[in-house]
Formats: sequence, structure tokens, C-alpha cells
Amino acid sequence: MLSSIHPLAKLVACMVWLAASILIFSAPFQFAIIASAVIALVLIERRSPLLVLALMVPFALFGFGFLTTSVLFRQESDFALQMAGETPFGGEAFSAGVVLFLRAVACGLVSAVFALTTDAGQFIKALMVNWRLSPRIGYALFSAMQFVPDLAAEAQQIRLARAMRKGRPPRRIPGPLETASLIVPLLAYAIRRANRAAIAMEARGLDAGISRTVLGAPLMRRRDIAFLGIALVLLPVLWWISRLAP
Amino acid sequence: MSLSRAWTLREILIVAVLGAVFGVLYLAWVQVWLIAQAIFGAVTMDVVMGFWFIVSIIAAAIIRKPGAALLSEFLAALIQVLLGSPAGLMLLVSGLVQGAGAEAVFAATRWRNYRLPVLMAAGVGAAVFSFIYTWIRFDYGALAPGLLVAMFVLRCLSGALLGGLAGHLVTEALYRTGVLSGLGIDTDRRQGRG
Amino acid sequence: MRYPYADAPAVGPASLTVGRGERVLLVGASGSGKSTLLATLTGLIPHTIPAEVTGRVELRGEDVTTRTPAQWSASVGQMFQNPEQTLCGMTVGDEVAFALENQALPVDKIEARVGAALAQVGLPADWRGRRTMQLSGGEKQLVALAALIASQAPLLVVDEPTAHLAPAAATHLRRLLLDRPGDASVLIVDHRVDDLAGLVDRVVLIDADGSAVDGGSPRAFFRARHERLAALGIAIPPPAALDAALRAEGVVLAEAPLTMGEAVAGLEALPDGEQAAAREIASAFAAAHQAGQSAQASKEVVAALEGASCAPLFGPTVLRDVSLTVRRGETIAIVGRNGAGKSTLAASLAGLLRLKAGRRTGPMGAISFQNPENQFLAGSVREEVRDAWLAAGADAASAGAQAEDTLAQWRLSELAAAHPFELSQGQKRRLSLAIITAGGRWPLLVLDEPTAGLDGAGRAALETEIRSLAGAGHAVALVTHDLDFALSSCARAVVVDGGGIAADGPSGTILRDTALLERSGLAAPALLPLLHFLEAGPC
Repeated sequence: MLSSIHPLAKLVACMVWLAASILIFSAPFQFAIIASAVIALVLIERRSPLLVLALMVPFALFGFGFLTTSVLFRQESDFALQMAGETPFGGEAFSAGVVLFLRAVACGLVSAVFALTTDAGQFIKALMVNWRLSPRIGYALFSAMQFVPDLAAEAQQIRLARAMRKGRPPRRIPGPLETASLIVPLLAYAIRRANRAAIAMEARGLDAGISRTVLGAPLMRRRDIAFLGIALVLLPVLWWISRLAP
Repeated sequence: MSLSRAWTLREILIVAVLGAVFGVLYLAWVQVWLIAQAIFGAVTMDVVMGFWFIVSIIAAAIIRKPGAALLSEFLAALIQVLLGSPAGLMLLVSGLVQGAGAEAVFAATRWRNYRLPVLMAAGVGAAVFSFIYTWIRFDYGALAPGLLVAMFVLRCLSGALLGGLAGHLVTEALYRTGVLSGLGIDTDRRQGRG
Repeated sequence: MRYPYADAPAVGPASLTVGRGERVLLVGASGSGKSTLLATLTGLIPHTIPAEVTGRVELRGEDVTTRTPAQWSASVGQMFQNPEQTLCGMTVGDEVAFALENQALPVDKIEARVGAALAQVGLPADWRGRRTMQLSGGEKQLVALAALIASQAPLLVVDEPTAHLAPAAATHLRRLLLDRPGDASVLIVDHRVDDLAGLVDRVVLIDADGSAVDGGSPRAFFRARHERLAALGIAIPPPAALDAALRAEGVVLAEAPLTMGEAVAGLEALPDGEQAAAREIASAFAAAHQAGQSAQASKEVVAALEGASCAPLFGPTVLRDVSLTVRRGETIAIVGRNGAGKSTLAASLAGLLRLKAGRRTGPMGAISFQNPENQFLAGSVREEVRDAWLAAGADAASAGAQAEDTLAQWRLSELAAAHPFELSQGQKRRLSLAIITAGGRWPLLVLDEPTAGLDGAGRAALETEIRSLAGAGHAVALVTHDLDFALSSCARAVVVDGGGIAADGPSGTILRDTALLERSGLAAPALLPLLHFLEAGPC
């Protein structure tokens, strides 16, 4: 259901939620955001809970780093207190670390809600129609996306060619050194494609500053405004609830 | 600087594909980084951060027009969003911040100098802006000053080396392949402006 | 016109006019400047691609430079070799509508034209939502063609549209492009003139000095300009070549043939006295176009697959239980429909892909890839060839001299200092072949679609090269769509179909088996009607 909401309404809502997460330093509040995101994904979008869990992992890893840093490197005063005998787990450092950890997960999940419920093509078209994104940039994005899978195929071909020179079949996954040596040839390939694509798009009439029709762009409807309204109102409600928590 | 300030479609596309290539590379780099971060703590972020700035350095060095650094970071982040990376939206903000940092340095040189020291300075500029942003995001104010200084220095070094120096090397290698003919870097070099 | 920092004009002085409703074919040797000439038509040169243009270019009576190339898009529609270049990476419907959106046409008009164009091209209407990334190469070119048709531009400029397509898709596309009602003019550039000859009104030749020579109608063109074309190295369709061979001996067919069927009909229509002589000439012609057994078919095995299962680098297994033995001196053509697994088989044979099952014996082979650019690792043409010789074991001193010889042999001497990526498609192919044949380092050579983008001289050179390589003891395996080339250069043929090898035997036998060809989704070689005629014997 979220997938049919106008992409720009979703974008604004998610960005506001992200800002709230960054600005408000409260563990229960971050937790409330996480809970809302999980509900949105599992109950409204009917995604598998396992997927949501898997999504949380990289952000949890990211956040865990902040937790450990916070615990170990908090300002001298707290550290001294801890050294003096208080267990680290009750200290201010730990709870601050927990907030940062939860914040990382919360930001990640809000971001994920947007990514999983938005179609790239619709998003770009909405940007062009509603927010006046230059069509040259919009279609450049389409073109660049089209070309990502070709990048993988191209990388394989280059690896095969090198393997041939060396006299050994290539490994399945390239190691770090091999990957680094692939960057320049892949960039050269990408730029050559870009050169040719620019000519073709110009030949089809894409120019700067023209007014053009856009077929199939999403329309802003009442339900999209309603969604945005609900999302914005929900934030202070969640904050108020979180302040009631212990 | 190039002949005209207006961007051609070719230049826009080049920035977009640079964003696409590095967007994909960043996705891979993130996996490596996250695991290291969980083990070594937030400092790892500062050590590897420079690689996130490289696309702005390369774009600016190739196209040599105002806004190249900023636009490239933004498009790289946008493409990651479009490709479905869950971290996408956050990357939009951090991308803009990093791009602004690099752009600020190029603006200070009036977009005329793209030699190695300037590129490395741009890497540092991006590092500084990014540091301020993460300060707010992750409450650095409460951390030990010693650690903060270390993180800042590491991030600037990383920006200069992984962003500026590496960006310079990649740009040079690309120039030799001849695909950059007709762009800002090419006209500058042929006219002897380096 | 002249590129900046270049010494000589890339093309010209050339004069060319295309009238309303005319279909004009532009031929020329690879690297002769055909694409450059096309680029000036909409003002791409000098607006987007910096180059100096002297002289006047006019579209519909107006000087080209009065508008930007984008502004000319309503009058000129363009299609390129590579569909990935023409298309932007959206859904089919969006692609076809793109040019119309840029003209700011109202939505209902766009919808109508898109629907009509899709119908004309034969794509189902429910494909509008399909992403172009999921389509095959042939289908993508059809979408590009639909986009072209939808724009309703009075002039269509098409640059080698079928270069990367399989024969069936190529024929279909050509017919759609040229066999349409309406008064749109079409200017098409292509190397493979065989099927086009019957579909165009006029042929124009870009000569070696860069000038455009108007050849008139196709029939007259090939008869009149045969020597010139041969001298320039341009591909001559087999029927025209047969006609020329006959005329050289004094036998003149009633009408210059454009297809082999017409040639055979012309032969049958000859008076009896001439028929015998004509038969002899035709026999010699057919023999010259078929590879015989190579003189030194030795027993030594160069590479062998036993019970192998082959899969591309990150893909599922496409071939199972493959057994294939390749000996020194053999020339093998690997043929099959699109997606049958020819390239996978070729790479597995060369030992570059690990097998999922079964064994491979023999030293590693070398591959010349479909996309020659993947092969180039050095900064200049000369360096690439020199590196190849060094890798083959030549010492530093002789490597340089050997490299110069190789460059001359493949007609790359003038390009020695250029960067490999700057070459034209045909030139890149020649360089790629030069690299893997230099020094004779690899006993097995696999060529993946080597004829794509090559002109007549290139193909002839390739054929000679393959023969001499086989004679020198190499084994050559050739993956190709072009069955005529397979017939004329390879003694043995392997048909890949249905997840395995469907047939393996002498190319003369296999490529004449029309039932087998049809089962495997292949089109018969153009030479076939002639072969049947000769076998039928005098009546």
C-alpha cells in the first residue's frame, strides 16, 4: 500500500523522520521510530520479518561501533567514574551509546522503508514533474541505472581477457587488488558509453530548458497529502509517548 | 575553466555514470567497512572515509566546472537510492555534505586549479564538512577530546589520500585512455594549463 | 570535415543529396569516414563533437547550423549500431514515447503514435510496461526502430543497425526499416550489403580519398563499380561477385543479380552453349567459397572436452555432456541460434571458464572477444602488438620489428600511435586479431563473432589468416552467425542446440543440411542455391 503513495510525499515524510531521529537524543524515541518502521514494513507492506531483520544487521553493526566507542571513550569524567567501581552497564556512557546504536538502526530502517516501497522510474518522473528536476539530469539517471548490470558483464569480460594473458582461468570472486585494477578500465567503459548515449539522447531531442510532456508521472492525490499529514503528526505523538517511558 | 559555464548533456551523463560506477563500488566497500567498524569502533569510519569523497574529486578534475564536485556526490547517492540501497536516504544528506566540502575548496581556487595539492585539499575539505555533520549525528561532543582529535586527523588524512591522491591517480589513468577528449581537462591540458 | 589536432580531413570533400522518399545506401571501407559524414547531417559535428566543417550541409533547404542537433530531432530520426546507445533504459512504452515527449506533444497524441509504432514493428502492446533491460539485442533494436517510427521524422539516418544481430532478426529489421509505405527518406550505412541491395533505390560509395561517388541503382552499381569496390576492400555480395566472375570470362547474365536465386535463374536461362562454360566458372566460384580439408590434419590433440558441463562465469549450466576434440590444423565453426551457448562453449574450450563437470585436456587457448575493446590493456596500438610479441617470447629487440610487420599485415600501420579505444569497430577487430595471432603463442585460437563490423577486405584477410594459421599448426575455432563465412573458412562445423552439441562434422555436409539448420534456428548460407544448382547437373 505504501508503494502507491506518491514518491515525493514519502520522501518528505522520511526526511523529516530522519531529522527527528538525529536531533532527538532519547532511546525510547528512537525505539518508537524503529517500531513504526517495522510495523510499516511487516504489517502494511507485508514483507517478511526475516527480511526486516536482515536489513537491520548492517545498521546494527554500524551502530555497535558507536556503542563501543561511546563506552570506551566517553569524556574523562565518566570514564573515571566507571573506573572507580561502577559497572559500565549502568553508566551514562552506556546509555548514550545505546541511543546512538538505536539511532543508527532507526535511520537505517526509515531509509529502508523508502527504498523498498519506491519505484525508481516513478521517483525520477515525480522529481521532474513536481520538483522541476532538469530532464537532462533525470534521463541521465535512467541511462546510468540501465548501465549498472552491463558494468558487471563488462568486468567479467575484462577479467577473462587478463586471465588469457596470464594463462590462468580467473577466480570466481575477484580479490581486492584485482578489483582495484578494474576501476580505471570500467570507468573508461562507462565514460565511453556516456559519450555515445549523450549523442543519441540529443538526437532524440533532449535539450536544455525545453518544456516537455512526461508520460506516466505519478499524480499527487488527496491520499498522498493525507499520508504526509499522518506521518508528520505521528512524530510528536511518538515523542510524547516516549517521554512517558521509564 | 572550460569555455562556457553551461553544462553539456555529455558532461551531465559522465557525472551520472561516475556516480553509478562509484555507487556500486561504495556498496561493496560498505560491507567491508561495517564489519571492521563493529570490531574496531567508530574510528574505522574515519580511516576509510576518504574513499567516499573520491567521486567528487574525479568529477571536478575531469569536467572543471563549478558544481561538478557537489553534483557528482549527490548523483552517486541518488543512484544508490534508486538501486534500492536501504541506506539510500541518509547517503543523500551525507553525499551533499561531502560534496559541498570539496566544492568549497574548488570554489576557493575559483575552479581554476586542479593540480594534486588542490585535489588533496579538496579531500580534506570534504573530510572537515563530513566531520561536522557526523559530530551532530553521533553526538561527538560527549567524547574524549583526545579521541576526537585522532578521529579528525585520521579523517583528514584519509580524505587527502584516499580521496585526493587516489582521485588524482585515477584521473590521470583515465586521461591516458583518451576517453576524456573534449572535456574540461582536455582543453586545459592542450592549452598548457595543466 | 577535419577533427581538431588531426592532420588530414576525416572525410570529404563530399557531395551528397537525398531526395524525398529515397532509400540510399552508403558504403565504404571501414574507417573511411561514413559515420563522420552522418554526424554532420544533424550538426552533431560541429556542435557537440568538435571538428572543422568546410562546405555546406542543408536539411530541408535550411543550413544545419541554424539549429542545435536536438532541435533537428523532429526532422531527422537516428538509429545506431548498438541499441544500448539509442535507448535510455526505461520501459518500452517510455522509450518509444521519448522523442515525442521532447517535442512537448499532448499526451493523447503520444499514446496514439506509440501504439501505432509498436503495432507496425510487431511488438505486443502489453510490452509497454516491460523494461528494455530485460530484452534481447534483437528486441531492443526493434524498440529503437519503433521509437524512430513514432517520431514520424521525414528523414531516417541509420548506422549499421544490424551489426550485432542474428541473421533472422537482421532480416526482419531491415525489411521493417526499408519496406514501409510513406515518403520518409532513409539513409543507411552498412557493410553487409547482401540483403539491402534489393531494398534501396540508390547506392553511394565513399571512396578512398573521402569523396562521395554516386553509384546509381544497386544492380548497375555492383556491375559497374566491381573493381573499385574490390580495390577499396568493400564487401561484395556473393551474387554480384559471381556475376563479375562470369563476366570476366565473357559470360553475361541477362540481368545483374541481387540474390543468389536470381543468379541461378539467370544461369538457367543461358543458351546451352554458354551454360557449360558458365557451369565451370560457377563451380570454381563455389569451390573457392568453401574450405577444403586442411592439408595437415594431424592427429595431435590441442584441446578436448569430455562429458563437460559448461556455464558462463556467474550463470547456470547451459550445456551438458559435451565432448569435443580439437586437433592441430583444424578449423571449426561453432554455430547455433542466439542464446544456445556458443560463446560459453568457446570460452570453455579455450580453458577460460571452469567446467561444472567433466574434463578438459590441453593447454590454454586464446580468445578474441565479441567486444574487442575488452582485450586492450596498453596505451597505444603499437604497444599492444609489441606486448603481444614480448609475451610470446620474442626478445625486446626483435619484438619491435615483429610488431611493425604485424601492423603492416593487418593494415594498422597508420594507426600505430593511436590509443586502441579510438579506433573504429573494424579496426579494433583487426587489432584484437593481430594481438592473439602475434607470435603464435597459443595453439588453440577461438574467435568470437570476428566478422562483426569488418568490411570485405577485413573478411578476406581474416579468411586468409585463418587458413595460414591452420596451415602453421594452430587450431582455430570460430563462433559465428555468418554461415557463409563459416562455410568458406572452416572445414568442420559444430552446431550447438538444445543444451548440447546437435551435430559435428564437415562443414560442407552440415551447412547443407537444411532440415538440421531449420531445427537449430539457423538461416541457410547464401551459397546454397548455387550449390544445389551445380549438383543438379546439366539438364
